[in-house]
Amino acid sequence: MGFLEFLIILIVLPMMVAGVMPLIGRLSRRLVPDLIGNVTFFALFVYVIFVAKRLLGSNPAIVQQASWFNTPLNLSLMLDGFSLLMLLTVNMITFAVALYSIDYMEHYGAKANFYALLMLMVAGMNGLILTQDLFTMYVFLEVAAIASYALVAFGLEHDGLEAALKYLLLSAVASVLVLIAIAILFGTVGSLQFGDLAAAAQAPEMRGVIIFCSVLFLVGFGVKAAIVPFHAWLPDAHPSAPAPISAMLSGVLIKVSGVYAMFRIFYSVIGLTPSLTQIILWLGVISMFVGALTALGQTDMKRMLAYSSISQIGYVIIGLGLGTPLGVIGGLFHLFNHAIFKSLLFLNSGSVQYATGTRDLHLMGGLAKRMPITAATSAVGSLSIAGVPPLNGFWSKVIIIIALFQAKMHLVAWLAVIASVVTLWYYLILQRHAFFGKLNEAWSGIKEAPFWMSLSTILLGLLCIAVGLLFPLMINSWLKPAAEALTGPIQVALNFFGL
Amino acid sequence: MHLFLLIGLVAFTILAVLARDLLKAAIALAGASIFLAIIFFRMGGYYVSVFEITIVAGLITVLFIATVNMTRHQEQDVVESKWPRIIFPLFFLLFLVVDFLVMKKLLGTIPALQSAETGTFGEILWGKRSFDLIGQIGVIFAGVLSVLALFRKRSKHD
Repeated sequence: MGFLEFLIILIVLPMMVAGVMPLIGRLSRRLVPDLIGNVTFFALFVYVIFVAKRLLGSNPAIVQQASWFNTPLNLSLMLDGFSLLMLLTVNMITFAVALYSIDYMEHYGAKANFYALLMLMVAGMNGLILTQDLFTMYVFLEVAAIASYALVAFGLEHDGLEAALKYLLLSAVASVLVLIAIAILFGTVGSLQFGDLAAAAQAPEMRGVIIFCSVLFLVGFGVKAAIVPFHAWLPDAHPSAPAPISAMLSGVLIKVSGVYAMFRIFYSVIGLTPSLTQIILWLGVISMFVGALTALGQTDMKRMLAYSSISQIGYVIIGLGLGTPLGVIGGLFHLFNHAIFKSLLFLNSGSVQYATGTRDLHLMGGLAKRMPITAATSAVGSLSIAGVPPLNGFWSKVIIIIALFQAKMHLVAWLAVIASVVTLWYYLILQRHAFFGKLNEAWSGIKEAPFWMSLSTILLGLLCIAVGLLFPLMINSWLKPAAEALTGPIQVALNFFGL
Repeated sequence: MHLFLLIGLVAFTILAVLARDLLKAAIALAGASIFLAIIFFRMGGYYVSVFEITIVAGLITVLFIATVNMTRHQEQDVVESKWPRIIFPLFFLLFLVVDFLVMKKLLGTIPALQSAETGTFGEILWGKRSFDLIGQIGVIFAGVLSVLALFRKRSKHD
């Protein structure tokens, strides 16, 4: 096996570059950190698409054993369709965010430190995705979390520091709950490997332990994923962070450290029981509605987007919690799509704040005349997230809703349709207040966002359109293996779409 | 003896949470850490015990006390909310009730402890938990970089 075929590159490369970044920052404040940061993130993205995808091939899963100078280490990484999809999501969005940061992070300073923390966040997420050991998952969860606390407060403003502290405290409680569950499982089974735990979980005498640990995991990862009622940290943390970090948090971090970790454990380790399915499903419905209705009343652009994330995570939870093959495909597709359009919308809000200095929608108006690229990409993102055809959000929502009807959950299906209408409603409010109508006099002198910021949003906007138009390709090459990793063969479910 | 150690651990932990004086809170935390280290030692976790004493009771306490002393001259009279003083004891009582009612029954359902990973400290750390080591390096990096980022001075170039 060639050096480049070791999946550990996805963890070690960003960590090594993060280690030398502060030294690079002493030599060059901007150009070299920008260059090295973006080249590294681009390399990781390309690695996932070409190398990791090829390594998995048509296998359901592969396990790699790392070695050090031909001495095998007890360091095994597992790659299956689900982890591959998550790796794609993380590294693709990070590259777009890094491009955007070239211009946006200019006025924050300490760019080398910024890229270093971003790399550690990515290394933590990649490690969490690739492990098959429960405690290692916890360790990498903390790597990503610690980096994210600092990144939320990176602007050193009062709001950011306060939000980071709140995020840290709630996240620490969540981590402790997860750690307790891991300790109980380790004490009971004597192993931390997913396979051993899954085999032991089948024993009838384990029922009490499994139920107790399921509750701890549900609350712990529920906080990380910001599912209602564990969402209190998100509406403060996401708006207060610099825009690229808001995009990372809403776009990928809550999905990896919350949704991925929760469902990896529920599907691959302790099993999804019917009662647990019902609890998860209704938590998803509550999140979908509470998030959407709260977003409707916001006047702060980024806060509206933050509440919208809670609502959209609700859809993902409903799809994955439903547990049917079609529901899982819909949930995974919406997870992937939400990463794209929510990152895009947060980056657009950053461009607006960069130009106007405000996040208050009532102070904006007519910005499309001065910022046509931002307005156009924001419209694409808003229509996608609201589920307007033929954009990507439409397909994922429609798959989830059909899966709900198939599972005879008509009430939840109709609630999902209504929540989608509410989503369209508040995104139209956002568009109208920010970009349409008469140009506010105060903004007559503003300019479009700089080149790299615009390029990043254009790429994400095009991705929304391309994934929507080419959704069969996306389903067959990335989503089908991901859903099969969770639920087994799914061809019957895909027949519905003629795929 | 175990009961005495557990009561000591809980008492010092509560003191650390409720103490108004940060210095006293830091010292109470160190006290709790010493009790925890003794419990670890008595249960056979010698390495964990040594780490707990040196890192938490020692190094971290020194860092806390140094930080508190450095920031003392900036202290101002801040009106504190009384809610934590009411909610925390209530929550603690609730926890005790739940613990008494549920945990005993739950622990009864847990099968006998399995033999966990065996071997020397070095064998487990380097041989069996290599992946965690990489993660731990990441945690240390993240901590150091967070301090560098959050305690930076903005230069005129920025």
